[in-house]
Amino acid sequence: MEVEYVGKCLLLNIDGKKILVIGDLHLGYSESLRRSGVLIPGDSFKEVVRELGKIMEKTGNVNEIVLLGDLKHEFGGISNAEWREIKELLDYLKKKGKVIIVKGNHDKITEVITKQKGLGLVDYYIIDGVAFVHGDRKLEESEIYDKKIKYWVIGHGHPAIKITDNVKEEKYKCFLVGKYKKKDVIIVPSFFDVNLGSDPRDFDLGLAWKFDLMRFVVRVIEGLDVLNFGELGKLNY
Amino acid sequence: MAGKIEYIEALEKKEVSGILNPLVKEWFFSRFSDFSLTQLYGVKRIYDRKNILISAPTGGTKTLTAFLGILNYLVGLALKDELEDKIYCVYTSPLKALSNDIFVNLEQPLKEIGELAEKKGLKMQKIRVGLRTGDTTASERAKMVRKVPHILVTTPESLSIILTTPKFVENFRAVEFVVEDEIHAMANKRGVYLSLSLERLHEKSLIEPVRIGLSATIAPIEEIARFLVGKNRDCLIAKVELVRDIDIKLISPAEDVLEAEDPENKKKLYKILDELIDEHKTTLIFTNTRAATERVVHHLDDYFPGKYIGLIGVHHSSMSKNKRFEIEEKLRNGKLKVVVSSTSLELGIDIGSIDLVVLLRSPKSVARALQRIGRAGHQLHANPKGRFVVLDRDDLIESGILMKSMVEKKIDEVQIPKNCLDVLAQQIYGMAISKIWNAEEMLKAIRRSYCYSDLKKDDFYDVISYLAGDYALEHRNVYAKIWYDEETKEIGKRGKLARVLYMTNIGTIPEEGFIEVVIQSPSERRGQSVGKIDEAFLERIKKGDVFVLGGGKYQFMFSRGMKAYVIADVSRTPTVPSWFSEQLPLSFDVANDIARFRGLVRERIKKPKEAIDFIEDYLYINRAGAKNIYQYIREQYKFSEIPDNRTIVVEKFKEDKEYLLFHSMVGRRVNDALARAYAFAAARFRMRDIEIGINDNGFFIAGEQLDEKKILKAVTADKLDGILKQAIEKTDVLKRRFRHCAARGLMILRSYKGRTKSVGKQQVHSHFLLAAVKKISDEFPILREARREVLEDLMDVGNAKKVLLKLDSGKMKFKVVRTPMVSPFGLNLIMQGHADLIKVEDKIKFLKRIHQLHLKVIGEDI
Repeated sequence: MEVEYVGKCLLLNIDGKKILVIGDLHLGYSESLRRSGVLIPGDSFKEVVRELGKIMEKTGNVNEIVLLGDLKHEFGGISNAEWREIKELLDYLKKKGKVIIVKGNHDKITEVITKQKGLGLVDYYIIDGVAFVHGDRKLEESEIYDKKIKYWVIGHGHPAIKITDNVKEEKYKCFLVGKYKKKDVIIVPSFFDVNLGSDPRDFDLGLAWKFDLMRFVVRVIEGLDVLNFGELGKLNY
Repeated sequence: MAGKIEYIEALEKKEVSGILNPLVKEWFFSRFSDFSLTQLYGVKRIYDRKNILISAPTGGTKTLTAFLGILNYLVGLALKDELEDKIYCVYTSPLKALSNDIFVNLEQPLKEIGELAEKKGLKMQKIRVGLRTGDTTASERAKMVRKVPHILVTTPESLSIILTTPKFVENFRAVEFVVEDEIHAMANKRGVYLSLSLERLHEKSLIEPVRIGLSATIAPIEEIARFLVGKNRDCLIAKVELVRDIDIKLISPAEDVLEAEDPENKKKLYKILDELIDEHKTTLIFTNTRAATERVVHHLDDYFPGKYIGLIGVHHSSMSKNKRFEIEEKLRNGKLKVVVSSTSLELGIDIGSIDLVVLLRSPKSVARALQRIGRAGHQLHANPKGRFVVLDRDDLIESGILMKSMVEKKIDEVQIPKNCLDVLAQQIYGMAISKIWNAEEMLKAIRRSYCYSDLKKDDFYDVISYLAGDYALEHRNVYAKIWYDEETKEIGKRGKLARVLYMTNIGTIPEEGFIEVVIQSPSERRGQSVGKIDEAFLERIKKGDVFVLGGGKYQFMFSRGMKAYVIADVSRTPTVPSWFSEQLPLSFDVANDIARFRGLVRERIKKPKEAIDFIEDYLYINRAGAKNIYQYIREQYKFSEIPDNRTIVVEKFKEDKEYLLFHSMVGRRVNDALARAYAFAAARFRMRDIEIGINDNGFFIAGEQLDEKKILKAVTADKLDGILKQAIEKTDVLKRRFRHCAARGLMILRSYKGRTKSVGKQQVHSHFLLAAVKKISDEFPILREARREVLEDLMDVGNAKKVLLKLDSGKMKFKVVRTPMVSPFGLNLIMQGHADLIKVEDKIKFLKRIHQLHLKVIGEDI
């Protein structure tokens, strides 16, 4: 299997089969802020589509698209924006390839919307030794723990990294890549842009497993480029 | 056409008494033996319906001056049974407590005049006074709607609410007088806001109300007059000179002030304070920070155990309202011997009779010194008495200069914020709620306010676009507060909730929260909360700074929302004093006077006796103080160079880093602007970030290697705006100010659909908001306002430019000297100055550079 990092997305090539992986989207977040009286200007959904377009320009045609969960933001209800945006996004993605949606902790009722597009949500998705999960639940006793599963691809944590030269500091979204019980683990950053995410050295990412994140390799995203910064534990903090 | 400003003189007693109704005259002279000077200036002019700014020292009977003519007029009407059910006079003050005082002080004379009329068998209508503040209950408000007060006593915020209340606003149909009290305390966004409210009031009223401004001694007085009436209206200025002598002296506890922190001197300091307190009936001690007030009380008790129990009080702004009220009450009843305050007792609430004010450390501006000392001898004819007690050598010179300026009646100038777009947004919304406007008419009404008289048309329409939801694209429905029809140019409100939404989110005073300090490391204490710090303090610290909290030392790492994460158990010495954010900034004018004074001493530096004589004479201080100052300036002369008002000495020395220390005596707000600009320029040459430190006396920049020749040339007056805009872009202070502006500009509704957002939630939300706003437009009006606030209100870009112009034209010059270490004049700066961080490189370059470094370390290619 080949792993390629394309901006905030992951492109997996399994025997010629191309799979695009998209992290947490939290559609409707801006809308929910607006509804609580925080007047966010602009249209974050259009941004999402525009950015996906750029990424897919680079990846070329793909066979499958895996959404790693947390499609929508609000737990309880479904806002107008969420209805509209999720349907629009799915229409867009379905044209590009087969869409698989992994269920996130925010997705209690997301299925109501996706069903309208003929899509269901799954707790995990497995293809050729690669397991895709959201990352909030351990999913004990499930196939993801099988020996033949070599890779875990995880969302949920919203990893980001602070980089400093001791004087100046900037934060970037990043992938975290490491090992857990002989499996290769890739933690995918959130796709949504309202927030960059959390630095695992500052805050617990809230993942279901206790990964030794300090030994994970950090791959930092800037635009469509992804740069290898080595092990987290060896980075200046 | 700009309105005419005219200075007036006091009138003869008979000219003033001639206007008084016999009843009012009899009442007045039964209570007072004569008119005060202020009354001779003001009463008749107000009676003649002239706009007037009355500037008089505290205790100058200003309020009665404003009201005597008005009461006289109302009594006249009441006797003729011609008093209508409408508001004749609106009075505003910045403090609820003061409005309460005024309300009581109006009810009393009205009652007495009423009784006098009754005794004489005169029939007179009742003149009603209404008090409307944030504390007024719903039933009292309802009563006021039914029975309209003739005089409405209120605050700026409550006035705006009333202006949007349909049932009540009818009563503003013909307001005849507007009194704005304590206008010197309104040279801020609240004053800007009030200036627009008054224009809105004017729009509602058929007649143009007379405007009466009451102020303590303030400068520039003509600008304050325009601020009161707007650009195009005429205004009289009554500058009531200080008739009372002020009795001021400077005391220094130590022979050699350098050693003020020495325990022996500390003991002396408290002995001096104790003696001063003993010699007077009631003493008010002003310190510059809240913590210092507590410290003074603590030490007085330490050195004089038991002596002050029950006789000493503390009064500062972080105490609860009740606690403060208790102290004020005790003061009025003469139960306290001494009160220690920071800034909270400066304004004119009644605190009874104080016979001595002690200023512990320089109050940093002449106006403030006058205001503080004016709190003594508050009753008529008593002379205010003040003592400066100085604690170090910079303090000694500063206090000396302040004393000189007070004696010579030179006041430093305040600055009034202009064209604030957040306040504008809030007021436009209020205006649109009241009625449908033509856009050009609205702009005209807004420009009548002095604070917006040169408001750019583009800025106005940007705010209209923002409020109309043009930036929100298809989310306009949730977003828009007003509608704007480009064809008809009409503006109106949107949404059924508009009025409620407006009234529950009104105001300009930012909600400041406390930041919880949480331990991040060591891991066994992770998550433990160790206390709270001010938000303003957070604005001032950067990663790596060490500060003291509750006896422990902590190293700041980062903040998120309303939490600051720190490393505990650090051994390094603190880098940021905990009081820094509270410290009052030294004013531009006083700083210039200090710089000039340094130059005058330099001319005499080789003749000690002559120099000391000169200092004694020039600063009105005693011999010991003069010697101390001479010694200090001489040390600087021997070690380095003496900076003055034409020479900014720049010292270069090396410690852990290379330092350029600028002895720029131009006031802290100007130093703040200059420091960031030079640091940014330096960073740009080296492409590395630079550390900075700022205080009242100068600033330093430090970095691995600094090329002063390039750096000094890089900042010029015409480039300053551009440089600073970039320099502040990623700072914590801009982020927090953006939250304040977003709340004022109603981008973040603090109260919405029955829910109130905590400050923490607002901060988290504003973080997202800022990111979204920047994506839309870097010039979004509310973001632009946040930048303006940082540059013009927090810093002083205007005067910084003046300094740079002088440097560009050769009227001032830099003199670079190499020193082995920091010079005497710079010592306080190095020790106490706060540091900040300039972010300069754009993100990608920064990333690539660090990446190259990392590649070497991890030895791997990508």
